[in-house]
Amino acid sequence: MAELVQGDGRTHISSGLMRESLVSTKLLADTHHEKVIPMVPDVNMITIGGQSIMDRGAEGVLPLVDTIIKAKELGHKMVLGVGGGTRARHTYSIGVDLGLPVGGLARIVGGVEEQNRNMLQFLLAPHGGITFVKDHFQDLQLFLSGGMIPICIGQPPYHFWEPPPLKGGFPDNGPDVGLFLMAEIIGAKTMIYVKDVDGVYTDNPNKNPDAEFIKEISALDLLDRNYPDLPIERELLRTLENARLVTSVRVINGLNPENLIKAMNGEDVGTHIYSQRALDAKNSGDNT
Amino acid sequence: MATKKDGKIWTAGMDNAFTGQTLTSLELINETSNNTTLPVLPEVWVLKIGGQSIMDRGRAAVFPILEELIAAKDTGIQFILGTGGGTRARHVYAQALDLNMPTGMLAKLGAGIPVQNARMLQMLTAKHGGIMCYDDDFEKLPLYLRTGCMPIMSGMPPNEFWEKSARIGRIPPNRTDAGVYLMGEFLGAKGVIYIKDEDGLYTDDPKKDPNAKFIPEISAEQLIANQQDDLVVERVVLEYMQRARHMKEIRIINGTKKGNITAALSGENIGTRIYSETNQ
Repeated sequence: MAELVQGDGRTHISSGLMRESLVSTKLLADTHHEKVIPMVPDVNMITIGGQSIMDRGAEGVLPLVDTIIKAKELGHKMVLGVGGGTRARHTYSIGVDLGLPVGGLARIVGGVEEQNRNMLQFLLAPHGGITFVKDHFQDLQLFLSGGMIPICIGQPPYHFWEPPPLKGGFPDNGPDVGLFLMAEIIGAKTMIYVKDVDGVYTDNPNKNPDAEFIKEISALDLLDRNYPDLPIERELLRTLENARLVTSVRVINGLNPENLIKAMNGEDVGTHIYSQRALDAKNSGDNT
Repeated sequence: MATKKDGKIWTAGMDNAFTGQTLTSLELINETSNNTTLPVLPEVWVLKIGGQSIMDRGRAAVFPILEELIAAKDTGIQFILGTGGGTRARHVYAQALDLNMPTGMLAKLGAGIPVQNARMLQMLTAKHGGIMCYDDDFEKLPLYLRTGCMPIMSGMPPNEFWEKSARIGRIPPNRTDAGVYLMGEFLGAKGVIYIKDEDGLYTDDPKKDPNAKFIPEISAEQLIANQQDDLVVERVVLEYMQRARHMKEIRIINGTKKGNITAALSGENIGTRIYSETNQ
Protein backbone atom coordinates (compact mmCIF):
# COMPACT_ATOMS: atom_id res chain seq x y z
CA MET A 1 0.00 0.00 0.00
CA ALA A 2 1.54 3.26 -1.11
CA GLU A 3 1.69 5.96 1.52
CA LEU A 4 1.68 9.71 1.15
CA VAL A 5 4.81 11.34 2.47
CA GLN A 6 4.91 15.03 3.38
CA GLY A 7 7.25 17.34 5.28
CA ASP A 8 9.27 19.10 2.59
CA GLY A 9 6.42 21.19 1.21
CA ARG A 10 5.57 18.60 -1.42
CA THR A 11 3.30 15.59 -1.23
CA HIS A 12 5.10 12.46 -2.37
CA ILE A 13 3.78 8.98 -2.95
CA SER A 14 6.09 6.47 -1.31
CA SER A 15 7.70 4.53 -4.17
CA GLY A 16 11.13 3.47 -5.33
CA LEU A 17 11.42 6.70 -7.28
CA MET A 18 10.14 9.04 -4.55
CA ARG A 19 11.84 12.47 -4.60
CA GLU A 20 14.13 11.33 -7.41
CA SER A 21 14.90 13.64 -10.33
CA LEU A 22 14.82 10.66 -12.74
CA VAL A 23 17.94 12.16 -14.33
CA SER A 24 20.47 10.59 -11.97
CA THR A 25 22.67 8.11 -13.85
CA LYS A 26 22.84 5.94 -10.73
CA LEU A 27 19.07 5.79 -10.51
CA LEU A 28 18.73 5.01 -14.23
CA ALA A 29 21.22 2.15 -13.91
CA ASP A 30 19.06 0.75 -11.08
CA THR A 31 16.10 0.59 -13.44
CA HIS A 32 18.04 -1.44 -16.00
CA HIS A 33 16.58 -4.74 -17.07
CA GLU A 34 17.40 -6.61 -20.25
CA LYS A 35 14.23 -8.62 -20.15
CA VAL A 36 10.94 -6.77 -20.46
CA ILE A 37 7.49 -8.12 -21.21
CA PRO A 38 6.30 -8.21 -24.85
CA MET A 39 2.73 -7.11 -25.64
CA VAL A 40 1.74 -9.42 -28.55
CA PRO A 41 4.78 -11.58 -29.24
CA ASP A 42 3.57 -13.79 -32.12
CA VAL A 43 3.29 -11.07 -34.77
CA ASN A 44 5.46 -10.31 -37.78
CA MET A 45 6.00 -6.62 -38.41
CA ILE A 46 6.49 -5.93 -42.10
CA THR A 47 7.58 -2.65 -43.64
CA ILE A 48 6.69 -2.15 -47.28
CA GLY A 49 9.04 0.40 -48.83
CA GLY A 50 7.43 3.51 -50.28
CA GLN A 51 9.82 4.34 -53.10
CA SER A 52 11.11 0.78 -53.45
CA ILE A 53 7.77 -1.08 -53.63
CA MET A 54 4.66 1.12 -53.55
CA ASP A 55 5.90 3.52 -56.22
CA ARG A 56 6.36 0.58 -58.62
CA GLY A 57 2.58 0.31 -58.85
CA ALA A 58 0.88 -2.97 -59.81
CA GLU A 59 4.12 -4.57 -60.93
CA GLY A 60 5.75 -4.27 -57.49
CA VAL A 61 2.71 -4.26 -55.21
CA LEU A 62 0.34 -6.96 -56.48
CA PRO A 63 2.72 -9.95 -56.29
CA LEU A 64 3.58 -8.88 -52.75
CA VAL A 65 -0.11 -8.56 -51.86
CA ASP A 66 -0.66 -12.12 -53.15
CA THR A 67 2.20 -13.33 -50.98
CA ILE A 68 0.78 -11.58 -47.93
CA ILE A 69 -2.58 -13.29 -48.52
CA LYS A 70 -0.80 -16.63 -48.85
CA ALA A 71 1.18 -15.99 -45.66
CA LYS A 72 -2.02 -15.26 -43.79
CA GLU A 73 -3.51 -18.54 -45.02
CA LEU A 74 -0.39 -20.28 -43.72
CA GLY A 75 -1.21 -18.87 -40.28
CA HIS A 76 1.25 -15.97 -40.07
CA LYS A 77 0.05 -12.97 -38.07
CA MET A 78 1.20 -9.73 -39.61
CA VAL A 79 1.11 -5.99 -39.10
CA LEU A 80 2.01 -4.05 -42.25
CA GLY A 81 3.51 -0.59 -42.38
CA VAL A 82 4.33 1.70 -45.29
CA GLY A 83 6.68 4.51 -46.15
CA GLY A 84 5.91 7.55 -48.26
CA GLY A 85 8.22 7.14 -51.26
CA THR A 86 8.51 9.66 -54.05
CA ARG A 87 5.80 11.96 -52.69
CA ALA A 88 7.58 12.06 -49.32
CA ARG A 89 10.74 13.25 -51.06
CA HIS A 90 8.77 15.85 -52.98
CA THR A 91 7.17 17.01 -49.70
CA TYR A 92 10.61 17.38 -48.12
CA SER A 93 12.03 19.19 -51.12
CA ILE A 94 9.26 21.81 -51.07
CA GLY A 95 9.29 22.00 -47.26
CA VAL A 96 13.04 22.51 -47.07
CA ASP A 97 12.87 25.20 -49.76
CA LEU A 98 10.19 27.01 -47.76
CA GLY A 99 12.38 26.91 -44.64
CA LEU A 100 10.05 24.77 -42.54
CA PRO A 101 11.61 23.58 -39.28
CA VAL A 102 12.29 19.87 -38.93
CA GLY A 103 9.25 19.39 -36.68
CA GLY A 104 7.12 20.85 -39.45
CA LEU A 105 8.55 18.40 -42.00
CA ALA A 106 7.86 15.54 -39.58
CA ARG A 107 4.27 16.74 -39.14
CA ILE A 108 3.40 16.85 -42.85
CA VAL A 109 5.26 13.86 -44.29
CA GLY A 110 2.88 11.28 -42.80
CA GLY A 111 0.13 12.53 -45.12
CA VAL A 112 1.57 10.76 -48.16
CA GLU A 113 2.17 7.59 -46.15
CA GLU A 114 -1.53 7.54 -45.32
CA GLN A 115 -2.25 7.39 -49.04
CA ASN A 116 0.01 4.36 -49.42
CA ARG A 117 -1.59 2.77 -46.36
CA ASN A 118 -5.05 3.38 -47.79
CA MET A 119 -4.13 1.81 -51.12
CA LEU A 120 -2.70 -1.27 -49.43
CA GLN A 121 -5.76 -1.53 -47.19
CA PHE A 122 -8.04 -1.30 -50.22
CA LEU A 123 -6.19 -4.14 -51.94
CA LEU A 124 -6.13 -6.34 -48.85
CA ALA A 125 -9.63 -5.52 -47.61
CA PRO A 126 -11.21 -8.75 -48.96
CA HIS A 127 -8.60 -10.67 -46.94
CA GLY A 128 -8.86 -8.68 -43.72
CA GLY A 129 -6.82 -5.59 -44.45
CA ILE A 130 -7.78 -2.86 -41.96
CA THR A 131 -6.32 0.58 -41.23
CA PHE A 132 -4.42 0.65 -37.96
CA VAL A 133 -3.95 4.08 -36.41
CA LYS A 134 -2.24 5.31 -33.28
CA ASP A 135 -5.41 5.70 -31.23
CA HIS A 136 -6.26 2.04 -31.82
CA PHE A 137 -2.85 0.69 -30.92
CA GLN A 138 -4.24 -1.13 -27.92
CA ASP A 139 -6.95 -2.74 -30.08
CA LEU A 140 -4.30 -4.72 -31.92
CA GLN A 141 -5.41 -8.03 -30.41
CA LEU A 142 -8.98 -7.38 -31.48
CA PHE A 143 -7.85 -7.03 -35.09
CA LEU A 144 -5.49 -10.00 -35.01
CA SER A 145 -7.83 -12.40 -33.29
CA GLY A 146 -10.50 -11.34 -35.79
CA GLY A 147 -8.16 -12.53 -38.52
CA MET A 148 -7.43 -9.04 -39.80
CA ILE A 149 -4.23 -7.62 -41.28
CA PRO A 150 -3.66 -4.22 -39.62
CA ILE A 151 -1.95 -1.70 -41.92
CA CYS A 152 -0.38 1.48 -40.57
CA ILE A 153 1.85 4.35 -41.56
CA GLY A 154 5.49 4.33 -40.57
CA GLN A 155 6.32 7.88 -39.53
CA PRO A 156 6.43 7.94 -35.71
CA PRO A 157 3.97 10.41 -34.17
CA TYR A 158 6.59 12.83 -32.86
CA HIS A 159 5.21 15.49 -35.21
CA PHE A 160 6.21 18.99 -34.11
CA TRP A 161 8.25 17.36 -31.33
CA GLU A 162 10.70 15.73 -33.76
CA PRO A 163 14.16 16.25 -32.23
CA PRO A 164 16.72 18.25 -34.21
CA PRO A 165 18.61 15.78 -36.45
CA LEU A 166 22.18 14.75 -35.68
CA LYS A 167 23.12 16.11 -39.10
CA GLY A 168 21.30 17.55 -42.08
CA GLY A 169 17.85 19.03 -42.52
CA PHE A 170 15.52 16.00 -42.48
CA PRO A 171 13.92 14.30 -39.50
CA ASP A 172 16.18 11.48 -38.24
CA ASN A 173 13.07 9.47 -37.49
CA GLY A 174 11.30 8.12 -40.54
CA PRO A 175 9.01 5.15 -41.22
CA ASP A 176 11.77 2.56 -40.62
CA VAL A 177 12.22 3.84 -37.07
CA GLY A 178 8.51 4.29 -36.40
CA LEU A 179 7.63 0.76 -37.44
CA PHE A 180 10.57 -0.68 -35.56
CA LEU A 181 9.38 1.04 -32.38
CA MET A 182 5.92 -0.44 -32.89
CA ALA A 183 7.52 -3.88 -33.30
CA GLU A 184 9.56 -3.29 -30.16
CA ILE A 185 6.58 -2.49 -27.93
CA ILE A 186 4.60 -5.34 -29.49
CA GLY A 187 7.63 -7.58 -28.93
CA ALA A 188 7.19 -8.81 -32.51
CA LYS A 189 8.55 -12.18 -33.62
CA THR A 190 10.21 -10.71 -36.71
CA MET A 191 10.83 -7.24 -38.09
CA ILE A 192 11.17 -7.33 -41.86
CA TYR A 193 11.98 -4.44 -44.21
CA VAL A 194 10.75 -5.17 -47.72
CA LYS A 195 12.74 -3.17 -50.30
CA ASP A 196 13.78 -3.51 -53.94
CA VAL A 197 17.36 -4.57 -53.25
CA ASP A 198 18.60 -7.88 -51.85
CA GLY A 199 19.63 -6.25 -48.59
CA VAL A 200 22.35 -3.92 -47.36
CA TYR A 201 25.32 -3.13 -49.59
CA THR A 202 28.47 -1.08 -49.09
CA ASP A 203 26.86 1.55 -51.35
CA ASN A 204 23.62 1.97 -53.30
CA PRO A 205 23.71 -1.00 -55.73
CA ASN A 206 21.35 0.77 -58.14
CA LYS A 207 23.99 3.47 -58.63
CA ASN A 208 27.29 1.80 -57.86
CA PRO A 209 27.84 -1.58 -59.61
CA ASP A 210 30.85 -2.24 -57.33
CA ALA A 211 28.77 -2.12 -54.16
CA GLU A 212 29.22 -5.33 -52.15
CA PHE A 213 26.42 -7.26 -50.47
CA ILE A 214 26.50 -7.73 -46.69
CA LYS A 215 24.88 -10.89 -45.34
CA GLU A 216 25.03 -10.15 -41.63
CA ILE A 217 26.26 -7.21 -39.58
CA SER A 218 25.68 -5.55 -36.22
CA ALA A 219 23.84 -2.25 -36.18
CA LEU A 220 26.79 -0.70 -34.37
CA ASP A 221 29.28 -1.86 -36.99
CA LEU A 222 27.06 -0.76 -39.85
CA LEU A 223 26.75 2.72 -38.33
CA ASP A 224 30.49 2.99 -37.75
CA ARG A 225 31.26 2.09 -41.35
CA ASN A 226 29.45 5.24 -42.43
CA TYR A 227 28.59 3.94 -45.90
CA PRO A 228 27.50 6.70 -48.31
CA ASP A 229 24.03 5.22 -48.72
CA LEU A 230 21.82 2.70 -46.93
CA PRO A 231 18.42 1.15 -47.75
CA ILE A 232 17.31 1.71 -44.13
CA GLU A 233 17.45 4.77 -41.90
CA ARG A 234 20.60 5.34 -39.87
CA GLU A 235 18.48 6.19 -36.83
CA LEU A 236 16.98 2.69 -37.09
CA LEU A 237 20.46 1.31 -36.40
CA ARG A 238 20.85 3.46 -33.29
CA THR A 239 17.38 2.48 -32.11
CA LEU A 240 17.94 -1.22 -32.78
CA GLU A 241 21.22 -1.10 -30.88
CA ASN A 242 19.36 -0.09 -27.69
CA ALA A 243 16.28 -2.29 -28.17
CA ARG A 244 15.30 -4.90 -25.59
CA LEU A 245 12.81 -7.16 -27.37
CA VAL A 246 13.35 -6.94 -31.12
CA THR A 247 17.12 -7.32 -31.23
CA SER A 248 17.50 -7.99 -34.94
CA VAL A 249 15.86 -7.03 -38.24
CA ARG A 250 16.02 -8.32 -41.77
CA VAL A 251 16.15 -6.34 -45.04
CA ILE A 252 14.81 -8.36 -47.97
CA ASN A 253 14.03 -7.93 -51.65
CA GLY A 254 10.27 -7.78 -52.14
CA LEU A 255 10.58 -8.04 -55.91
CA ASN A 256 11.01 -11.75 -55.15
CA PRO A 257 7.95 -11.95 -52.87
CA GLU A 258 8.60 -15.52 -51.66
CA ASN A 259 11.44 -13.99 -49.63
CA LEU A 260 8.80 -12.60 -47.30
CA ILE A 261 7.46 -15.99 -46.23
CA LYS A 262 11.00 -17.31 -45.90
CA ALA A 263 11.90 -14.41 -43.63
CA MET A 264 8.81 -14.99 -41.47
CA ASN A 265 9.82 -18.64 -41.17
CA GLY A 266 13.19 -17.50 -39.85
CA GLU A 267 15.12 -18.47 -42.98
CA ASP A 268 18.32 -16.64 -43.75
CA VAL A 269 17.29 -14.35 -46.60
CA GLY A 270 18.45 -10.81 -47.29
CA THR A 271 20.61 -8.99 -44.76
CA HIS A 272 20.39 -9.72 -41.06
CA ILE A 273 21.20 -6.76 -38.78
CA TYR A 274 21.47 -7.33 -35.05
CA SER A 275 22.04 -5.32 -31.89
CA GLN A 276 25.62 -5.68 -30.66
CA ARG A 277 24.60 -4.43 -27.23
CA ALA A 278 21.91 -7.08 -26.86
CA LEU A 279 24.26 -9.82 -28.08
CA ASP A 280 26.96 -8.74 -25.60
CA ALA A 281 24.41 -8.70 -22.78
CA LYS A 282 23.24 -12.18 -23.73
CA ASN A 283 26.81 -13.51 -23.95
CA SER A 284 27.68 -12.08 -20.55
CA GLY A 285 24.61 -13.80 -19.10
CA ASP A 286 22.97 -10.47 -18.22
CA ASN A 287 19.32 -11.26 -17.89
CA THR A 288 18.71 -8.80 -15.11
CA MET B 1 -1.50 3.56 -68.06
CA ALA B 2 0.93 5.17 -65.72
CA THR B 3 4.20 6.65 -66.91
CA LYS B 4 7.22 5.12 -65.22
CA LYS B 5 10.80 6.16 -64.60
CA ASP B 6 13.32 3.59 -63.33
CA GLY B 7 10.41 1.22 -62.76
CA LYS B 8 8.49 3.68 -60.61
CA ILE B 9 5.28 5.62 -61.21
CA TRP B 10 6.20 9.07 -62.43
CA THR B 11 4.40 12.35 -62.98
CA ALA B 12 5.82 15.42 -64.66
CA GLY B 13 6.91 17.96 -62.08
CA MET B 14 7.78 15.39 -59.40
CA ASP B 15 11.46 15.83 -60.12
CA ASN B 16 13.28 17.40 -57.20
CA ALA B 17 16.65 17.38 -55.48
CA PHE B 18 15.74 14.27 -53.48
CA THR B 19 14.14 12.19 -56.26
CA GLY B 20 15.32 8.61 -56.41
CA GLN B 21 17.60 9.12 -53.42
CA THR B 22 17.44 7.23 -50.20
CA LEU B 23 17.13 9.87 -47.51
CA THR B 24 20.09 8.21 -45.77
CA SER B 25 22.48 9.37 -48.47
CA LEU B 26 25.37 11.15 -46.76
CA GLU B 27 25.65 13.49 -49.73
CA LEU B 28 22.04 14.55 -49.33
CA ILE B 29 22.41 14.96 -45.58
CA ASN B 30 25.44 17.19 -46.10
CA GLU B 31 23.60 19.28 -48.67
CA THR B 32 20.78 20.02 -46.25
CA SER B 33 22.87 20.63 -43.15
CA ASN B 34 23.12 24.37 -43.64
CA ASN B 35 19.60 25.17 -44.77
CA THR B 36 17.96 27.89 -42.74
CA THR B 37 14.59 27.32 -41.14
CA LEU B 38 12.04 29.95 -40.26
CA PRO B 39 10.74 30.62 -36.75
CA VAL B 40 7.03 29.81 -36.41
CA LEU B 41 6.08 31.94 -33.38
CA PRO B 42 9.18 33.98 -32.52
CA GLU B 43 7.50 36.32 -30.01
CA VAL B 44 6.16 33.59 -27.76
CA TRP B 45 7.83 32.19 -24.63
CA VAL B 46 7.53 28.54 -23.73
CA LEU B 47 7.41 28.02 -19.98
CA LYS B 48 7.44 24.80 -18.04
CA ILE B 49 5.77 24.47 -14.66
CA GLY B 50 7.61 21.74 -12.77
CA GLY B 51 5.59 18.75 -11.62
CA GLN B 52 7.36 17.61 -8.48
CA SER B 53 8.92 21.01 -7.89
CA ILE B 54 5.80 23.19 -8.26
CA MET B 55 2.53 21.32 -8.79
CA ASP B 56 3.10 18.85 -5.96
CA ARG B 57 3.57 21.75 -3.54
CA GLY B 58 -0.05 22.63 -4.09
CA ARG B 59 -1.59 26.01 -3.43
CA ALA B 60 1.43 27.47 -1.60
CA ALA B 61 3.59 27.35 -4.73
CA VAL B 62 1.03 27.28 -7.54
CA PHE B 63 -1.13 30.31 -6.65
CA PRO B 64 1.63 32.95 -6.47
CA ILE B 65 3.14 31.63 -9.71
CA LEU B 66 -0.20 31.82 -11.56
CA GLU B 67 -0.70 35.33 -10.21
CA GLU B 68 2.63 36.42 -11.65
CA LEU B 69 1.93 34.71 -14.97
CA ILE B 70 -1.50 36.30 -15.36
CA ALA B 71 -0.04 39.72 -14.59
CA ALA B 72 2.63 39.15 -17.22
CA LYS B 73 0.05 38.05 -19.78
CA ASP B 74 -2.01 41.16 -19.09
CA THR B 75 0.97 43.35 -19.97
CA GLY B 76 1.00 41.69 -23.40
CA ILE B 77 3.71 39.07 -22.90
CA GLN B 78 2.80 35.93 -24.83
CA PHE B 79 3.60 32.48 -23.54
CA ILE B 80 2.55 28.84 -23.58
CA LEU B 81 2.62 26.79 -20.40
CA GLY B 82 3.72 23.17 -20.39
CA THR B 83 3.33 21.04 -17.28
CA GLY B 84 5.52 18.41 -15.70
CA GLY B 85 4.34 15.19 -14.11
CA GLY B 86 5.89 14.93 -10.69
CA THR B 87 5.28 12.43 -7.95
CA ARG B 88 2.44 10.49 -9.52
CA ALA B 89 4.53 10.00 -12.67
CA ARG B 90 7.30 8.58 -10.48
CA HIS B 91 4.81 6.29 -8.81
CA VAL B 92 3.44 4.89 -12.05
CA TYR B 93 6.98 4.43 -13.41
CA ALA B 94 7.91 2.49 -10.25
CA GLN B 95 4.83 0.31 -10.63
CA ALA B 96 5.47 -0.40 -14.33
CA LEU B 97 9.17 -1.08 -13.71
CA ASP B 98 8.18 -3.57 -11.06
CA LEU B 99 6.01 -5.29 -13.69
CA ASN B 100 8.97 -5.43 -16.13
CA MET B 101 7.35 -3.22 -18.69
CA PRO B 102 9.29 -1.67 -21.57
CA THR B 103 10.21 2.00 -22.00
CA GLY B 104 7.45 2.70 -24.56
CA MET B 105 4.85 1.54 -22.07
CA LEU B 106 6.33 3.75 -19.34
CA ALA B 107 6.17 6.71 -21.72
CA LYS B 108 2.52 5.93 -22.45
CA LEU B 109 1.75 5.76 -18.75
CA GLY B 110 3.81 8.82 -17.86
CA ALA B 111 1.87 10.92 -20.36
CA GLY B 112 -1.28 10.76 -18.26
CA ILE B 113 -0.03 12.76 -15.30
CA PRO B 114 1.10 16.04 -16.94
CA VAL B 115 -2.35 16.18 -18.57
CA GLN B 116 -3.92 16.10 -15.10
CA ASN B 117 -1.62 18.92 -14.02
CA ALA B 118 -2.40 20.95 -17.14
CA ARG B 119 -6.13 20.54 -16.50
CA MET B 120 -5.67 21.70 -12.91
CA LEU B 121 -3.93 24.86 -14.12
CA GLN B 122 -6.60 25.42 -16.75
CA MET B 123 -9.38 25.29 -14.14
CA LEU B 124 -7.53 27.74 -11.95
CA THR B 125 -6.86 30.21 -14.75
CA ALA B 126 -10.00 29.79 -16.88
CA LYS B 127 -11.37 33.14 -15.72
CA HIS B 128 -8.16 34.80 -16.94
CA GLY B 129 -8.10 33.02 -20.29
CA GLY B 130 -6.42 29.72 -19.39
CA ILE B 131 -7.25 27.25 -22.15
CA MET B 132 -6.28 23.58 -22.67
CA CYS B 133 -4.30 22.99 -25.82
CA TYR B 134 -4.01 19.33 -26.79
CA ASP B 135 -1.48 18.11 -29.35
CA ASP B 136 -4.16 18.12 -32.05
CA ASP B 137 -4.94 21.77 -31.26
CA PHE B 138 -1.31 22.82 -31.59
CA GLU B 139 -1.91 24.61 -34.88
CA LYS B 140 -4.58 26.74 -33.19
CA LEU B 141 -2.00 28.41 -30.94
CA PRO B 142 -2.15 31.70 -32.90
CA LEU B 143 -5.88 31.90 -32.25
CA TYR B 144 -5.46 31.33 -28.52
CA LEU B 145 -2.64 33.83 -28.24
CA ARG B 146 -4.33 36.55 -30.32
CA THR B 147 -7.49 36.35 -28.29
CA GLY B 148 -5.50 36.91 -25.10
CA CYS B 149 -5.77 33.34 -23.90
CA MET B 150 -3.10 31.46 -21.98
CA PRO B 151 -2.57 28.08 -23.70
CA ILE B 152 -1.77 25.27 -21.29
CA MET B 153 -0.35 21.99 -22.54
CA SER B 154 1.01 18.77 -21.20
CA GLY B 155 4.78 19.03 -21.31
CA MET B 156 5.11 15.41 -22.43
CA PRO B 157 6.05 14.90 -26.09
CA PRO B 158 3.56 12.71 -28.02
CA ASN B 159 6.03 9.81 -28.33
CA GLU B 160 4.19 7.36 -26.03
CA PHE B 161 4.60 3.81 -27.43
CA TRP B 162 7.15 5.19 -29.89
CA GLU B 163 9.57 6.27 -27.16
CA LYS B 164 12.97 4.67 -27.72
CA SER B 165 14.77 2.66 -25.07
CA ALA B 166 17.86 4.25 -23.59
CA ARG B 167 21.07 2.27 -23.58
CA ILE B 168 20.91 2.01 -19.80
CA GLY B 169 17.75 1.87 -17.75
CA ARG B 170 14.10 1.86 -18.71
CA ILE B 171 12.88 5.36 -17.77
CA PRO B 172 11.76 7.22 -20.94
CA PRO B 173 14.57 9.62 -21.91
CA ASN B 174 12.12 12.16 -23.40
CA ARG B 175 9.84 13.46 -20.70
CA THR B 176 8.36 16.86 -20.01
CA ASP B 177 11.61 18.88 -20.09
CA ALA B 178 12.30 17.46 -23.55
CA GLY B 179 8.72 17.97 -24.73
CA VAL B 180 8.70 21.61 -23.69
CA TYR B 181 12.14 22.20 -25.17
CA LEU B 182 11.23 20.62 -28.52
CA MET B 183 8.07 22.73 -28.65
CA GLY B 184 10.24 25.83 -28.19
CA GLU B 185 12.67 24.67 -30.85
CA PHE B 186 9.92 24.00 -33.37
CA LEU B 187 8.25 27.35 -32.70
CA GLY B 188 11.55 29.21 -32.83
CA ALA B 189 10.18 30.69 -29.61
CA LYS B 190 11.51 33.71 -27.74
CA GLY B 191 12.91 31.39 -25.08
CA VAL B 192 12.33 28.31 -23.00
CA ILE B 193 12.17 28.78 -19.23
CA TYR B 194 11.87 25.99 -16.68
CA ILE B 195 10.07 27.11 -13.54
CA LYS B 196 11.27 24.94 -10.66
CA ASP B 197 11.79 25.17 -6.90
CA GLU B 198 15.56 25.60 -6.96
CA ASP B 199 17.51 28.69 -8.01
CA GLY B 200 18.84 26.78 -10.98
CA LEU B 201 21.52 24.21 -11.62
CA TYR B 202 23.78 22.88 -8.88
CA THR B 203 26.75 20.53 -8.91
CA ASP B 204 24.47 17.90 -7.33
CA ASP B 205 20.86 17.69 -6.13
CA PRO B 206 20.77 20.49 -3.52
CA LYS B 207 17.90 18.76 -1.73
CA LYS B 208 20.20 15.87 -0.91
CA ASP B 209 23.68 17.38 -0.88
CA PRO B 210 24.03 20.57 1.20
CA ASN B 211 27.50 21.17 -0.30
CA ALA B 212 26.15 21.33 -3.84
CA LYS B 213 27.28 24.58 -5.53
CA PHE B 214 25.10 26.87 -7.65
CA ILE B 215 26.04 27.23 -11.34
CA PRO B 216 24.74 30.52 -12.87
CA GLU B 217 25.83 29.80 -16.41
CA ILE B 218 27.26 26.80 -18.23
CA SER B 219 27.39 25.37 -21.72
CA ALA B 220 25.48 22.20 -22.51
CA GLU B 221 28.72 20.72 -23.83
CA GLN B 222 30.53 21.42 -20.55
CA LEU B 223 27.63 20.14 -18.49
CA ILE B 224 27.65 16.82 -20.34
CA ALA B 225 31.45 16.60 -20.08
CA ASN B 226 31.26 17.13 -16.30
CA GLN B 227 29.43 13.81 -16.00
CA GLN B 228 27.72 14.83 -12.79
CA ASP B 229 25.31 12.22 -11.53
CA ASP B 230 22.25 14.43 -11.21
CA LEU B 231 20.98 17.33 -13.31
CA VAL B 232 18.15 19.83 -13.17
CA VAL B 233 16.98 19.06 -16.73
CA GLU B 234 16.67 15.86 -18.73
CA ARG B 235 19.92 14.92 -20.42
CA VAL B 236 18.42 14.72 -23.89
CA VAL B 237 17.64 18.44 -23.73
CA LEU B 238 21.38 19.14 -23.52
CA GLU B 239 21.95 16.94 -26.57
CA TYR B 240 19.12 18.52 -28.56
CA MET B 241 20.41 22.04 -27.81
CA GLN B 242 23.69 21.25 -29.53
CA ARG B 243 21.91 20.25 -32.73
CA ALA B 244 19.16 22.87 -32.58
CA ARG B 245 18.66 25.58 -35.19
CA HIS B 246 16.76 28.03 -33.01
CA MET B 247 16.76 27.30 -29.29
CA LYS B 248 20.41 27.54 -28.34
CA GLU B 249 19.76 28.41 -24.69
CA ILE B 250 17.39 27.58 -21.88
CA ARG B 251 16.88 29.07 -18.43
CA ILE B 252 15.99 27.47 -15.12
CA ILE B 253 14.49 29.71 -12.48
CA ASN B 254 13.06 29.41 -9.00
CA GLY B 255 9.35 30.12 -9.28
CA THR B 256 8.83 29.94 -5.53
CA LYS B 257 10.64 33.29 -5.17
CA LYS B 258 8.31 36.14 -6.01
CA GLY B 259 9.36 38.30 -8.94
CA ASN B 260 11.60 35.74 -10.62
CA ILE B 261 9.15 34.89 -13.39
CA THR B 262 8.50 38.55 -14.17
CA ALA B 263 12.24 39.21 -14.20
CA ALA B 264 13.00 36.29 -16.50
CA LEU B 265 10.23 37.32 -18.92
CA SER B 266 11.75 40.84 -19.01
CA GLY B 267 15.02 39.31 -20.12
CA GLU B 268 16.89 39.60 -16.83
CA ASN B 269 19.72 37.21 -16.23
CA ILE B 270 18.43 35.20 -13.29
CA GLY B 271 18.59 31.54 -12.40
CA THR B 272 20.83 29.32 -14.49
CA ARG B 273 21.42 29.87 -18.18
CA ILE B 274 22.46 26.81 -20.17
CA TYR B 275 23.61 27.48 -23.71
CA SER B 276 25.20 25.76 -26.66
CA GLU B 277 27.61 27.25 -29.14
CA THR B 278 27.66 24.20 -31.38
CA ASN B 279 26.42 24.79 -34.88
CA GLN B 280 25.69 21.92 -37.18
